[in-house]
Amino acid sequence: MMESIMTDKGPRPLGPGEARTRQRRRNQAIYIGVAALAGGVIGFATGFFDQGDGNLFAGDWEDLKLPPAMALGIAALLLAVFVALPIYGFRMIDDYKREQNLVAFSGGCIAVVAGFPIWAALHAGGFVPAPHAFGIFAIAYVSTIISYGYARWRL
Amino acid sequence: MKNRLKVLRAERDWSQAELAGRLDVSRQAVNAIETGKHDPSLPLAFRIARLFDMRIEEIFDDGEHHDG
Repeated sequence: MMESIMTDKGPRPLGPGEARTRQRRRNQAIYIGVAALAGGVIGFATGFFDQGDGNLFAGDWEDLKLPPAMALGIAALLLAVFVALPIYGFRMIDDYKREQNLVAFSGGCIAVVAGFPIWAALHAGGFVPAPHAFGIFAIAYVSTIISYGYARWRL
Repeated sequence: MKNRLKVLRAERDWSQAELAGRLDVSRQAVNAIETGKHDPSLPLAFRIARLFDMRIEEIFDDGEHHDG
């Protein structure tokens, strides 16, 4: 069945370019859906199968415990979500979106390069707890998202 | 950089989505180019020129004027 688009003068068939744009949007939605699903599975599995009393947010690494097979599965999923999917995504997007992603990842990188020594200096001064890995990861993650929002707004 | 993309698109009665699909880029990219927020790469500028059967400098104006 031929797809159509609604206009002021009623429905008209999709042009070849519009059909390709719809396909691009569908692919993008599938990509985001897969990433969200994988993220949800990782979050659920980590929370549900955690056998220790550790806290990821507080950096209590010694008390975090997962069944070895589950840990391997989660590591594989993380590899897919944080390495394979982004690389695949970068190959799909156009120059404009690549520029937005460049701003986003640059923001995340700069935040970590500056954030760690600032955090360490503040810790040495007795203002904050000692830097820990999850905190650094969180700085990178949040800064990347904020930078992406900025790029979407300004570019 | 100024450009005539919006005018050329309107002359053909194409939507941004139609032009984006024909150029194999996102609709947001077309919008950003039309509003002058984003300059296309050279390969994309060539694709745009070929699509409209024009030269790149007939579509894009960098504000530099050359004699001869």
